[in-house]
Amino acid sequence: MSDFIVNIVHRPELAPEYAEKVTGSGKKDDIGRKSLIDESLSIFRFQQDTAHKNGLKTTIQITYASLFSPEIIAMAKEDHEKYGDEIALSLLGLPCRQFREKYHTEEFCIWLFSMEDKMRIVDDAFDLFEKAFGFLPSSTGSYFMDAELINYIKEKYPSVKCAIATCWEEGPKAYHTCNNSWYTFMDGGPWAPWIPSKQNSHAPAANEEEDSGIVAIPHLSRDLIACYDGNGSNFGTHPQNVLRGMIYDTKTWEYPYLYNLIDQYRHLAKFNNGYAYNMMFVGPGWLNKMGRWEAPYELLKKSYEDGMAYYGQLKKEGKLIDMTMAEFADYYRQKKSYEEPECALWRDILYGSDKQLFWYCDPYMRACINMDQGGALVDLRNYAAKLPWPVGIGTAHISDASYPFLIQEKYRAGYFTHYAGAGTVRSAKIAYGGEVADLCQCRTHASFRERTNDEGRKVRELLLDPVEIVFTDLSFKVETVISFEEGSSAIAFKRRIFDMSDPSAKVQVTEYMTACYGTTEYTERMEGITLGVRAGGGEEAISYEYKDRKITKERAREVYAIVPQIETYVSMRTDAEAEGYVREGYAFSPMFHLGFVGEIGNEEEETTWLNLAKGN
Amino acid sequence: MAQSGKGKLNYRCPSCFMRDLDIDMFYDRDKDEYYCIRCQFTGSEADVLAFNETVRIRYKAMNRRFSEEDFAS
Repeated sequence: MSDFIVNIVHRPELAPEYAEKVTGSGKKDDIGRKSLIDESLSIFRFQQDTAHKNGLKTTIQITYASLFSPEIIAMAKEDHEKYGDEIALSLLGLPCRQFREKYHTEEFCIWLFSMEDKMRIVDDAFDLFEKAFGFLPSSTGSYFMDAELINYIKEKYPSVKCAIATCWEEGPKAYHTCNNSWYTFMDGGPWAPWIPSKQNSHAPAANEEEDSGIVAIPHLSRDLIACYDGNGSNFGTHPQNVLRGMIYDTKTWEYPYLYNLIDQYRHLAKFNNGYAYNMMFVGPGWLNKMGRWEAPYELLKKSYEDGMAYYGQLKKEGKLIDMTMAEFADYYRQKKSYEEPECALWRDILYGSDKQLFWYCDPYMRACINMDQGGALVDLRNYAAKLPWPVGIGTAHISDASYPFLIQEKYRAGYFTHYAGAGTVRSAKIAYGGEVADLCQCRTHASFRERTNDEGRKVRELLLDPVEIVFTDLSFKVETVISFEEGSSAIAFKRRIFDMSDPSAKVQVTEYMTACYGTTEYTERMEGITLGVRAGGGEEAISYEYKDRKITKERAREVYAIVPQIETYVSMRTDAEAEGYVREGYAFSPMFHLGFVGEIGNEEEETTWLNLAKGN
Repeated sequence: MAQSGKGKLNYRCPSCFMRDLDIDMFYDRDKDEYYCIRCQFTGSEADVLAFNETVRIRYKAMNRRFSEEDFAS
């Protein structure tokens, strides 16, 4: 029996972020106009009624503006009494006349204020909330919350145990989608609930000492392929986002994709000890009476009703448990340990391909394996570094809240197909008789297995279907197993060669990682990075100078890079007798390269580990 | 000519949508056409709706309902 938990979240906004400007086009810009407030109230009422009609409880995230509305306060109290809805406090929805008169800014993202203002606004909102409801909230949230904001809230308001703390892969892609105008850069975080560390809210806590004291949930549950490959805002458990993506039949107004998305999330229980999670959070602007882009109000309304009806049906069938955010936080604390990873073997459910990605997240890393590229590692974040990264005015990053990558196939090329340069990826090249094939060229599928190793530790494994390499004078198969040991910051890649047309042949295998660091498409300064090789005969290292230099050593034990900009020590080691190498890049190709070159014969195997650590 | 405004529904530019850009178009009353402020796309309402259908061609599985077996395989 598995648990599929859903959090339904509503926020009464009074000045919905879209309704204010978009539907008000041509009208006087008046954030407090009565028609807008009346419409906002009716949208909130509609959302609440639709959930309740389907037997679902909600979390009402009271916005700053709502704290000045006796109608909203009364509605929330009534629904709390009648349906068990949780009354929480949102740090979204700040815009309103009272906020602007007090803070003299149109800024509406809590994480982008200075720390001084964050504290002031939090204290103000929590104080207003307590006065309105007579208690302090157990849940809060925003599109993003950095560690400093969470730590402040938890210290000052210990009643808070749950928060919406990121929107998965909302970064440069979302920015581009809005014609480079939407400053929500928060790539690199978990897609499913987690316990944020005190050091960086993206990175899960590894132990009690790192525990920020809250359970974080993502803003929406997003399609783990479509949202990664393309515009994130169209592919999530948000019915109107599905309409935004035009993923519906214009004649029938049907959108099976929404239900497929929910069902695939249900399926994730198979990889996570019988637990799966969904979150739906539709802001009122998406249900405004004037419609949204090409979708008329009737379609917006229908999609919300259908989404709720599907959750309601699953609940009636005993396949879903609806919880408030605070209830979920208690459940999560009982269900998960700090080091238990979140795993997702995800398939394409929209474009009609067989593409699979495997996502892995634990306190030490977030990693993505791409089966369309032979099991290459195509996205890697070093959570072992627990990189301090405060954001907002007055910090080094201001609006860039993303957790930096070492590998990111979209922003830094991935498997490289252009004529000059290099892309970030962790894969292997196999050579024989002057011919070379990269496993990135071999599409495959994977299955998932969980086992316990000899040390009693759990290991999550991805078993890739063998791929065939055909050269002029030799053909053979390659089997790959990728392992993640719980509590470890290493990823093991085991390769086995078999079915060689010439069993006496040996092929050259280069296990490699091409990497850099950053949060966007554009390169960062690489000076200061150290690249080194350790072998029995000693160690040799170079400091990055864009000179395309290379160090190689026979029977190397370890090849490594120290990236002080992101406090990262990343290394590779192998159980094969191999030559280790590191190579710096050059200005046109500002990457670094780590790898081992060895030989394997028929029915032989080798394992290479990629290790992550904190290091300067 | 008077300034342009948005239509009853805020159509997005289908050409920009194909490159993952959400750009509201404006409506030119004199020419009875929508136009994109980001690229050269122009078209009548019928043109826009027709282009929106071609946008969906990439979603080959848009109308398919997946089963539990599909996820398990």
